[in-house]
Amino acid sequence: MTRSIAANIRGLTLTIALAFLITSLGVGYWTLVSGEELAADPFNPRLVAAIRDRPRGIITDAAGNKLAESAQTNNAYKRVYTDKTLAHVTGYASFQFGASGIEAAYSESLIGQDPGDPLSQWRARYLRERVPPGSVMLGIDSKIQQAAVAALGGRRGAIVAIDPRNGAILASASWPQYDANLVSDPATEDAAWKQVNEDPNKPLINRVTQGLYPPGSTFKIITGAAAIESGVDPNAKVRVDDPWQADRSWGTYFVRSSSRAHGDYTMADGYRLSENIYFAKIGLQIGGPKIAEYAQRFGIGAPSRCDITAAKGQVSRTGLLDRPTLIADTAYGQGELLATPLQMALVAATIGMGGVMPTPHYANEVRDAEGHAIRVIAPGPAGQVISPDTARALTTMLVGAVEGPGAFAFAAKIAGVHVAGKTGSAENPSGAPHGWFVGFAPAEAPTVAVAILLENSPRGGEDAAPLGGRVMAAALGK
Amino acid sequence: MIAVTRRRPELGLLFWVAALGITGSVAVAAAEVAGFRPQQLVVPATFVLIAFVLHLFLAARGIRGDQLLLPIAAALTAIGLVLVQRLASNLLVQQLSWTLIAAGAFAATILIPRDLTALSRFKWTWALLGVLLLLSPLLPVIGREVNGARIWIGLGTVTFEPWEAVKILLVIFFAAYLEEFREVLSQTQRRFGPVPVPPLPYFGPIVAMWAIAMVVMVFERDLGATLLFLGIFLAMLYLATGEAFYTLIGILLLLVGGFVAYHTFGHVAACVDVWLHPVAEEVRFSSGYQLVQGLFALANGGLFGAGLGNGMPDRIPVVWSDFVFDAFAEEVGFAGALALLALYLLFVYRGMLIALRAPTPFLQLLAAGLSFIVALQTLVIVGGNARLIPLTGITLPFVAYGGSSLVTNWMLVALLIRVSDLTARVKGTP
Repeated sequence: MTRSIAANIRGLTLTIALAFLITSLGVGYWTLVSGEELAADPFNPRLVAAIRDRPRGIITDAAGNKLAESAQTNNAYKRVYTDKTLAHVTGYASFQFGASGIEAAYSESLIGQDPGDPLSQWRARYLRERVPPGSVMLGIDSKIQQAAVAALGGRRGAIVAIDPRNGAILASASWPQYDANLVSDPATEDAAWKQVNEDPNKPLINRVTQGLYPPGSTFKIITGAAAIESGVDPNAKVRVDDPWQADRSWGTYFVRSSSRAHGDYTMADGYRLSENIYFAKIGLQIGGPKIAEYAQRFGIGAPSRCDITAAKGQVSRTGLLDRPTLIADTAYGQGELLATPLQMALVAATIGMGGVMPTPHYANEVRDAEGHAIRVIAPGPAGQVISPDTARALTTMLVGAVEGPGAFAFAAKIAGVHVAGKTGSAENPSGAPHGWFVGFAPAEAPTVAVAILLENSPRGGEDAAPLGGRVMAAALGK
Repeated sequence: MIAVTRRRPELGLLFWVAALGITGSVAVAAAEVAGFRPQQLVVPATFVLIAFVLHLFLAARGIRGDQLLLPIAAALTAIGLVLVQRLASNLLVQQLSWTLIAAGAFAATILIPRDLTALSRFKWTWALLGVLLLLSPLLPVIGREVNGARIWIGLGTVTFEPWEAVKILLVIFFAAYLEEFREVLSQTQRRFGPVPVPPLPYFGPIVAMWAIAMVVMVFERDLGATLLFLGIFLAMLYLATGEAFYTLIGILLLLVGGFVAYHTFGHVAACVDVWLHPVAEEVRFSSGYQLVQGLFALANGGLFGAGLGNGMPDRIPVVWSDFVFDAFAEEVGFAGALALLALYLLFVYRGMLIALRAPTPFLQLLAAGLSFIVALQTLVIVGGNARLIPLTGITLPFVAYGGSSLVTNWMLVALLIRVSDLTARVKGTP
């Protein structure tokens, strides 16, 4: 017996009604539930509309100097940026291309809807009332910023200085620069956008937070921390003979010493003379998983907690260290490692702070139109990543790496202050090695930590170390 | 001799439609920089006039039966005009002209097929016509390619999407064919375990039509139409036979076909990838831009919306045809979007009711199939706009900008009213 068509019609109608119900729920999800997140997306033109239709808030440095403000043109507004060296930090705010940097990360605050003031958000969302925008105050210290820019001196690279006690970023220089004014001005944005995106030097990238580089020998700080906490005695002598391989299975592959060394090395010697074979050997001794674990603890390959967009880097392409040669190479900072200058500055800061890793932030405070603080940005530390004892031992060795006899990083010395630091020369596929320096000062109770990165610098870390000294000296008022 | 009927509920509802169309248009105009100008009332006034003339026409012809479909379709068309004024005011006059043509097509459909049941006698004609229309965009002179899909025919500046007409022909053909063979198709003598073995010869023509359609769709690169075609095919088969098994097989075929297409055709893969990761860095400024902007618009809607004219849906590319639902939801909120969906559901419900009461299987299948078209189109495009399913270029019935869609949908309304009228005459109810 065939079912009657009427019964089939009822069945189909019921199915359709169900599908309408599901569709309605989907629409409800997007209109009601997902609203907050999508409304805050920096690419949402509704936020960016504020760039053109009404003035956005001001961005200032720590001393209150204006870095960005809205200027009135004929019948619209456009953003004006006063400090070109901070283009990567303030970012741009273009009606057409969206926003970046602080303009993106604090886009709600800059239109008077700071999350710290939920009432202003609800008033905008449900009553469509607008609170006049206030300002976002950064931690950038113009004196240190100028020193960082001067130190970089027009070389491709990045310099970042951070206050290790609270994570405030004091200086952030990335070269090459771009002109955020051109990208934000409706009259020039098309041409400027095309130009910065086609430039092979990628000027739009904030190399401090988004530049991914092999960390080279600066990574030995993490290897050393992992080794000490795994029970390796830093004072024990390890035999170093250049070139070295663990066994014949490595074939023609050898770990090379930069000083063609032959001798017995302690960990302090390893840091002072940046001895690859020493760290390759203890890396293999403690094993890949330990190194990967400590790299993760220090935030490499982990989602960034920085308040503006920042890359996470990688321990290896798969996230695992499972081959002896990869473990050995990673232990002295090569292999498939990638990290940003900000991440390496945080590594230095963590050692300086007795193993407590600060959370980095560019903005210090959001203020309302009258100048009262709505929200103080003071993220707590990310956690105790290594023990205070380990950190203390590493600090002593890193001071030795700057001040000891024949130390590679001697050029980072500052008169009257103990400096802890480590250079690095990172082999990379694009040419001469990248020069690294990370460090902090005063070594006993640091108030500044830095990372210097020079792309394809002929003498690698040797070029970077003096810049670290200059930036830290500026921060210490020396 | 035709007796004039009084269609009072229909008339009453049309006053509400008039109020909706005029206030909507004024609200949009008032939110513009130039402000409201009296001459802008010409468009909604013309539309209201058309709607009342259609009502009088039905009454004068003595048409009995359903009185809700015309007001619902008119309300949806009014919303469509308001949205075209809001989103693409340069196309407004064109859309109004199409509305006029659609009203003419509606009237013609009420008048011309003297005997509705006779449609079933020419089923092979409809099938042939459908295939020809389907093939027409591939022809050299009149075929047009728009955004990578070759689904248009055009002469001069007038373009038409033949698919829109094909879907109605398809329903008529299936209704006629299945009325004739539904007993054979559903009474499967043989079963292979739980699997009914269908009498293959009777499936021949259906499968052939389906295959032709699929081949054409592949060459015309229109995902939405393929999906609609398959949906109609499966729904008609289910309506006629009640075999859920056929539907399951069909859905399985759809999934397999989708998988193969995903790995074979670039446009299918792009569509699915965008659906899965619309905000991914690689696509948000290119292929995913439209969808992401649509989601931003939805999210800005909230419960009651930004108010007509106060949102920013104009940032969505081609918003007036592909994303009209998101634009509507941004400006009238979840409440308004729900009301719009309710209108569609009510339309489908009335259509299905007409189908239930229809006196012959052909008319039952016809009315149910036509109602299903509106339901499926609404679900597929709203689902695509709200990222529930991959986005396809299907028009939101009556509301989205586009002439071919408006004309055929109004013909669809006329056919449903005809079925309802016939039922009322046969059964002697008003």
